[in-house]
Parts: sequence; C-alpha cells; structure tokens
Amino acid sequence: MSFLDTIRLALGNLGQAKLRTLLTVAGVSIGIAALSGLVSFGVGLEDQFVGSFKQSGMFDSITVTTAPIRRPGGFGARGRGANDRGGGRGGRSNADASQTPAAEPVPETPRVKLDDEAIAKMEALANVKSVQPNLRVPMQVTYKDFTEFTAAAGVAMSSAGEGAFQTMVHGTFFANEQDDACMLSLDMAKRLSTGDPKDLIGQSVTLTYATAPSKDAPAPVAIPGMPPSMQVQRVEKLCPIVGIVERESAPGMIGGGSVSPLMIPLAKARAIDAVQVTNAQSLLRAAEPKAYQSITVKVAGSQHTQDVEDKIKAMGYSAFSMNDLLQGAKRAFILLDIFLSLFGSIALTVSSLMIVNTMVMSILERTREIGIMKAIGGSDNDIRRIFLIEASTIGVLGGVAGVVLGWVVGRVINFGVNIYIVNQGGKAGNLFSLPLWLVGSAIGFSVLVSLVAGSYPARRAARLDPIQALRHD
Amino acid sequence: MPAALEIAHLTKHYRMGTATVRALDGVSLTINRGEFVGLLGSSGSGKSTLLNLIAGLDHPTEGSLKVFDQDLASMSREQLSVHRRKNVGIIFQSFNLVSTMSAVENVALAMMFAGVPQAERLARASSLLDSVGLSGRGRHRPRELSGGEQQRVAIARALANQPDLLLADEPTGNLDSKTAREILALLTDLNKNQGKTVIMVTHDAGIAAKVVNRTVTMMDGTIISDAVA
Repeated sequence: MSFLDTIRLALGNLGQAKLRTLLTVAGVSIGIAALSGLVSFGVGLEDQFVGSFKQSGMFDSITVTTAPIRRPGGFGARGRGANDRGGGRGGRSNADASQTPAAEPVPETPRVKLDDEAIAKMEALANVKSVQPNLRVPMQVTYKDFTEFTAAAGVAMSSAGEGAFQTMVHGTFFANEQDDACMLSLDMAKRLSTGDPKDLIGQSVTLTYATAPSKDAPAPVAIPGMPPSMQVQRVEKLCPIVGIVERESAPGMIGGGSVSPLMIPLAKARAIDAVQVTNAQSLLRAAEPKAYQSITVKVAGSQHTQDVEDKIKAMGYSAFSMNDLLQGAKRAFILLDIFLSLFGSIALTVSSLMIVNTMVMSILERTREIGIMKAIGGSDNDIRRIFLIEASTIGVLGGVAGVVLGWVVGRVINFGVNIYIVNQGGKAGNLFSLPLWLVGSAIGFSVLVSLVAGSYPARRAARLDPIQALRHD
Repeated sequence: MPAALEIAHLTKHYRMGTATVRALDGVSLTINRGEFVGLLGSSGSGKSTLLNLIAGLDHPTEGSLKVFDQDLASMSREQLSVHRRKNVGIIFQSFNLVSTMSAVENVALAMMFAGVPQAERLARASSLLDSVGLSGRGRHRPRELSGGEQQRVAIARALANQPDLLLADEPTGNLDSKTAREILALLTDLNKNQGKTVIMVTHDAGIAAKVVNRTVTMMDGTIISDAVA
C-alpha cells in the first residue's frame, strides 16, 4: 500500500469520528499550548534579559582595572572577575591601595599602571575597536535655582548610537568633542526643571569644579595658611544641554554606554580630570603621571571579547566583561526552560493518554473493519501505519492548534501584564517570545508524543487475529 | 490440469481453556485448477477452519498446505498477507463490507493494499461492479444496498486483484432463495467462463448439488466423502 493511500485511509477514518477526533485534538492542543506557552515565556524572559545587555553594548566591552589580584591562579576567572568589578566601580583607587599596604595582602603580580601608555598598548591588540578611560569627574551642576553635586561621566564619541544612546529621548548626541556640551539623564532633567524636559534642550547649565591654579593665573581665592602649591582654583563653565537620555536599568555601570546623571564628551572629561583637584592627595601627587581607575576596551565583535580579555589579563591587568556573567545567565535560562518544559510536559502527558484512549476506542470499534482489511490483503504493517498516521495527524493538528492557542494566551497575558507594568511606570516589553524554532519543535514534539502514544494501539491493531476480528460485532 | 491446492495430513488444534479442540485432524485433499468444489458438513465439522487455512487467515498446526505450489504452513504473517492479496478472493456469509465506504471504495480498497494507483483502481472497481450486475450502484453505502447487492459487491471485491482461487464461506447463508440462486449463478459463471477455481463452504447439500462439480463432506475434522458430480 502506498504512503499516500495510507494517509488517505487514515484521514478518512478520522473524518468518520469527527467529534472524537476534535476532542482529542483539543486535548493535545492544550498540552502543547501549555508546553510551548511556558517555554515561550522562558525564551521571552531570556530575550528581555539578554536584549537589555545587547542594547547596553556590553557584549563587546571589557572593563580593565588595576585592582590587585589577591589570589593569582586562585579559584578561576569568575571569582577574580567579581573582585575586579568591585575595583572597576571605583571603590578603590591605586592611591588608596598603596597608602594602606598593611590592610591588603601583598600583590604577587607587579603593579601595572593604567595610563595613556597602557591604552596605547591595548589599542594595538588585534580586534580592538577602541580604548577609552572611564572617567567620572565630580562637579557641581547649577541651573537657575537648582544645584546638585554630582559626577560627570566622560562619554566617548564612539558611543553615539550605542546602548543607551540608541534612542535619545530629546535632542541629539554630542556633535563633536571640542565644544562644551552636556547630556542629561531623564531623571536629572526632571530634577532640574518641573517643565517639559524637551524645553531644556538648548538651555545651559553651569558646571563648577576645582583645579590647581595655573601658573600664569594665580588663584583668585587664596586659602589662607595654605602653601601656594596647595591652592585651588574654582572653575565655572556654562555648558549647553544637547540631549536627554533615558536612564537604562542595565545591570552594572561598566562600559562606556552606561548613563550617568550628567554626561560630557570624554575629551572634555579627560581635560578636566588632568587638572582637577578633588582632594589633598591628588594635590600631593600632582607631579606623578596621571593614571586611570578603569578603562573600557571595545572589541570589533562579541566573538573576540574572550580572546582580548585573556590578552589583557596576560598584560597584568584585571579584566572583566559581561561575557562572564552572560555565560552564567544563559545556563540559568536553560535550567529555567527545562523546568518550564517539565511543567508543560505534565499537561502533554495527559494529552498523550487521551490519544491512547482515543486510539484504543477506535480500534475496538473498528475491529471488524481491521479483520476485513486483513482478509482482503492488508498486512500487519499496513494496519499499523494506518493507525500511526491517524495518531500523528492528531499530533500535527493538536500541535498547530496548541501553538496558536499558546500564542493567543501568551498575547493576552502579555497585554494584561504590560498594562500593569506601564501603570507602575515601567516600560512595556514582550514577555512571550515564539521563535520559529519553538513553533517547529512544539509541533514536532506533538507529533512525536502522538506517535509514541499511538504505537501501542497501532501495534495491537496490527497483531489482531483476522478470524477473531471478523467475528467481532 | 495442475493442482490449485494440495493438502496433506493437515491438522489444526485450538486451545479452548484447558481443552484442545481438534478442528482439523489429518486432512488430505487435492483440488485441480478450474474445479468448483462444495465443502459440506455440519457446524463444527471443520469446513470453515479448512477454508480459513486455505485463505491464509490462520496457520495450520501440522501438515502441508500448498496453494499454487506455495506452502502456506511455512509462511510468515507478512507472506500470508501477500497470499491473501494476490492468490485468493474471499466471500463471506455476512458480506463483510466496510460500512463507511461506498461500493466502489470497498472494491477499490482491496486494490489499495495491492498498490494499484487511485485512478486505475476506481476505474477497475467500477467495471467490476458492472460485471457483477451493479451498474450505477457504485456510490451507495452497504446499508443502502440489499443483501444480494451487498454480496455482489463482495464478489467484485474478491475479484479485484484477479486471483485464481475464490473462497466462499456460506455465500448464500444470509440471502433469500431467489437471490441465492442469482449469486450461485454468478459464481458458476466465474468458474466456467473465467476459469476461477471456486471452493464454497455450505451446510446445504441441496444448494451444492445444483452448482458444484465436486462435493467434499467433512465431519469432526476429517473428510468423510469426496464425490465428483
């Protein structure tokens, strides 16, 4: 018997018992809907999570610090990465560490400086796109009556269009790094002015910070009793606001793409940093060449991240990239997906029992017909195939209906949840993601389960004794 | 004339609980091609068991059973299904048509198992129905046909794959006498004009006497008489 004829016969049989077929298909579809819906929820969550990483431009960023390595060759890169991150966040600077040697274990690797020379060395590495110091310069922001002390982040020109700067709430990115210009976070903009943040574009804020007095211009405000070398100079700058950026809730403040309340071009930040006086120590160290707490290395593509990270570590620095975290997160999501699939499988198990029940019933009803088919030349295999195709047809129909049902339910839940999230001031997202591979594997799995469920009844039908079957009423 | 059927020392035992039923107990029989044999006997004599074995619906317990020189006793289930498909056409007392299929589809079903393409088998089924006198009734379901018409459909189905051997198990048992005569005439015609070898099981010696040219009578699983008319 040809395969096409087998299908024809099987479909005819299913058509004979429309209600029963429909009910079984409905049962299977609920199982598949539960399975694909739950997995699509897992995938959706992962997309949201990984997507926020990707948007932050963090896959191709490596944060390099000089934080001391406490246990060289200790418990592996992950443990070190966590320490490095602490250092990268600016908790401990070179100066701090070197001044309290008793509190710290003696580092076994010779301390290397993160200075302009180091930047040049890293820029020379293969697949490195850019190397930028992470600078935050403390300063006072004044706009009309509002005054706040904050840290201005230096944003590299190469960050344009990346991460948080992909979509500007208002205004534009810096036009160039020569002009005095600043960007604000949306939160900052709201603090600055009660009006529409849009109206702030083009307005100017006053930035105030302290520098060592330049030689030709003596300090206008001399602090009495201080030696001239420790005098500071107050600098005020009028700085137009060019853009406003939504604050990203991206985890970690690593990478050039992260948003700070106040942002100025990196070149400006470097210039200020070079002369700025933030405390007495920096005054005393004035003669030393400038070193950075951390720098961000961007690679040409996320596939190079690990390689470059390893090379930088070999140079004696501590390096950390989101790749380290991402691997762990991906493992966690795989576990979540497995867990959710197991839940869905419970529903699918019930569905598969329904298939067994339907098929056994159908065989019982059609015992005589099976006997007839055997008497006129149907082989065991012919009979088995007819029933297997009936079962897999139920599987295909149930799978398709289930994916559709799961999608619809997911949309409805997503709609409801987003209303709530938006009400709570959050951003609407897509909690359920139904990629093509999930559609395909859900339907495939449905067919597979149906075939497994149908294999016992089909075998029973195939093994029926034709004489007994013909006597059956 | 070569033998259509050669049976030697054929036994078939059934287990019924703890007891063993000897349905066939050493049957030897040779039937030539072109014969119309009536297989007679009361119920339980073993005549239907013998017919089922020849049809390849069951395996014998012992002995040899050759149909067209092929020993069914040594065949696998798969080989037996090929035998049923190609060598024999079976006609039942209760017609055994698939109730959900039309007459044409019932006839075509037999050809479906033989792998005949759809268009060809539907055309052949129609012409077979014409040949058994059911022109224009092909689209009817079995329940819309009279008993005689249903049996004609069953005969057309038995002829579908052009077997040389027709096996009829009480083909007129459910029919009135007039219809029964028509069915017997149809079988006779197939035997005489198309050269089909026919083995017909019946308990009615009167019916057999009218059409068959050889009568084999059985009792308690053995042949007690074998007479050529």
